[in-house]
Amino acid sequence: MHDPVVQATSLGKQYSGGFRAKPIQALSDFSLTVHRGEVFGLLGPNGAGKTTFIKALLGVIRPTSGSATLLGQPIGTPASRFRVGYLPEQHRFPGYLTAVQALDLYARLSGHDAPSRKSESVRLLGRVGLAEWADTKVKKFSKGMMQRLGLAQALMGDPELVILDEPTDGVDPIGRREIRDLVTWLSQSGTTVFLNSHLLSEVEMVCTRAAILNDGKLVGQGSIAELTTAPAAYEAQGTPVDAGLPGLPDGVTHDGELPWATYRIHADSPEELTAMLGQLIKAGVTLRQVTSGKRTLEQAFVEIVADAEAAN
Amino acid sequence: MIASRPAIQFSGSLQLTFRELWSTYVTLGLFVVSTICWLFLTFAMNLDVVEGSVAALRIFGFESTPTDHIRDPETGEWMSQSMGLDKLVVGIQSFVFGASYFLGTLLGIFAAAPLTASLVTESRIGLLLSKPLSRHRFLAGHVLGVFATVLLLSTYLVLSVWLVLSLKTGIWVPSFLLAIPIITLMFGVMYSVVLLVVVITGSSGFALVTSYGLIFISFILAAQEQILTQLITPGKEIFLGLYYLLPNFIEAVPFAVQLVEGDPVQNWVPITSSIVFGAVAFFGAFQWFSRKDF
Ligand SMILES: Nc1ncnc2c1ncn2[C@@H]1O[C@H](COP(=O)(O)OP(=O)(O)O)[C@@H](O)[C@H]1O
Ligand SMILES: [Mg+2]
Repeated sequence: MHDPVVQATSLGKQYSGGFRAKPIQALSDFSLTVHRGEVFGLLGPNGAGKTTFIKALLGVIRPTSGSATLLGQPIGTPASRFRVGYLPEQHRFPGYLTAVQALDLYARLSGHDAPSRKSESVRLLGRVGLAEWADTKVKKFSKGMMQRLGLAQALMGDPELVILDEPTDGVDPIGRREIRDLVTWLSQSGTTVFLNSHLLSEVEMVCTRAAILNDGKLVGQGSIAELTTAPAAYEAQGTPVDAGLPGLPDGVTHDGELPWATYRIHADSPEELTAMLGQLIKAGVTLRQVTSGKRTLEQAFVEIVADAEAAN
Repeated sequence: MIASRPAIQFSGSLQLTFRELWSTYVTLGLFVVSTICWLFLTFAMNLDVVEGSVAALRIFGFESTPTDHIRDPETGEWMSQSMGLDKLVVGIQSFVFGASYFLGTLLGIFAAAPLTASLVTESRIGLLLSKPLSRHRFLAGHVLGVFATVLLLSTYLVLSVWLVLSLKTGIWVPSFLLAIPIITLMFGVMYSVVLLVVVITGSSGFALVTSYGLIFISFILAAQEQILTQLITPGKEIFLGLYYLLPNFIEAVPFAVQLVEGDPVQNWVPITSSIVFGAVAFFGAFQWFSRKDF
């Protein structure tokens, strides 16, 4: 049950860059593990290598170094893709097919038999809200409807892992909400979801864990709670003291609201934190609780990416 | 009946190609032209046959007497006589063969090139390749779909013309049916070029230019006897090298016609070297396709 659904080890991809252009290192030494039942988000600015990673997992491109498995099977083999659904970043279904025919065709390519193709397409078109459009030609579909059809396609055959590349890109706010609900529903029914996004608030809302990719490199990963924990920042609640109180240590600011004031503490180590708390106590503060400082995923992302770039 | 997973997947790849081809007007157009062709032979052409010779040929009621020019065996002079019926049948069949050989192939690759190119565009191929089937099987389904369509269309035309002519005249020339595999095969040779270029460059325009260019070059290669006498080393060797290397689409015509007319074939080289070229190009296309990053 705890076998990884996605396991990448030092995956790297260098695009040859074409004639006389210099090669592009789209992914370097990227290792990642996604467990069963997770909703995993891969974040990163445009061009970070997110799509490259997904395409490598699905065998659409070949990694130039490292290795990876999908549901325990080495990537690049048909067997690794049997129980995987995929919504590409940009996709176009043949316009002359109806919604039902398109689903039938892609399910055929997955090897599903006729009865299951039929019942699944009815069920999933209903699930994504396209039931009344089942027999309409795809060329008449709007962008949002295409995206829903793409989602239905990715869910055909009850996959164990669903990979979504920028699922909410170009979708209106209501459509986004529906997609989020769908992801939640999938995860509640035990499906593992892996999604790429540069829309951080979306990820924050649906994902259980995330990794941050920048310039082809993994620069941070963890649960959403871990990522939104600000490093070296703490908050202590206690009785208020005068702002001008001598002895309030450097790196501590405070909101003097009654009955409890919040002290924001910057400390780089547990020793430093303990020392600062000691000074607060010495200054007469009665402490009620100490917690790690919080930041939004967006702040976290900006800070982590900035740190990574500064390190280069 | 329970179909196996590979069989279902293969049928999916075939079906995708069939549907796509039928959604283009070229395929439909070729079907309509073939239909007009046999309807024409059935209703618009009337033959008056006297003792095995065509006394009169009426097309839409306009009458003419097809003639043969032969040399009198005794006097050695040219003279005309009404054409033998079997000769007329073979003549019409050769014409139908020749026309479908050229038009079928040129229009066939004209329809197939954009189809194959659209399949490998980024917005389509990623999703298709993410399905649990090997790239080889997927491409094989596509190529087979294209071949099967050409085979069906040429069978429809050749068989209907053959049946109409044979039933009308009582002269059955079974070798005419060889036109079906020959057309399909030579189409396949030129399509192999399209596939190779599309898989490598993704451009249907470039693929068409290349395959039409090779057909154009084969016009020059067909004049090898005249050209070779004009050339000196190393031009001669280079020309011969190209002659054996490239498809001999044009030079294959007279020999294919011999085959279709049931005559002994004088020179197999143009046909076999074209087939070898096609086989190598297909092999290259499949290898490239199975390795390419999309
Ligand atoms: N087929 C390709 N050939 C060459 N370079 C590519 C190709 N696909 C992507 N790249 C480059 O690789 C980098 C990562 O791209 P991508 O994986 O699409 O990023 P993301 O999905 O995070 O926006 C970009 O610099 C992009 O230009
Ligand atoms: Mg992307």
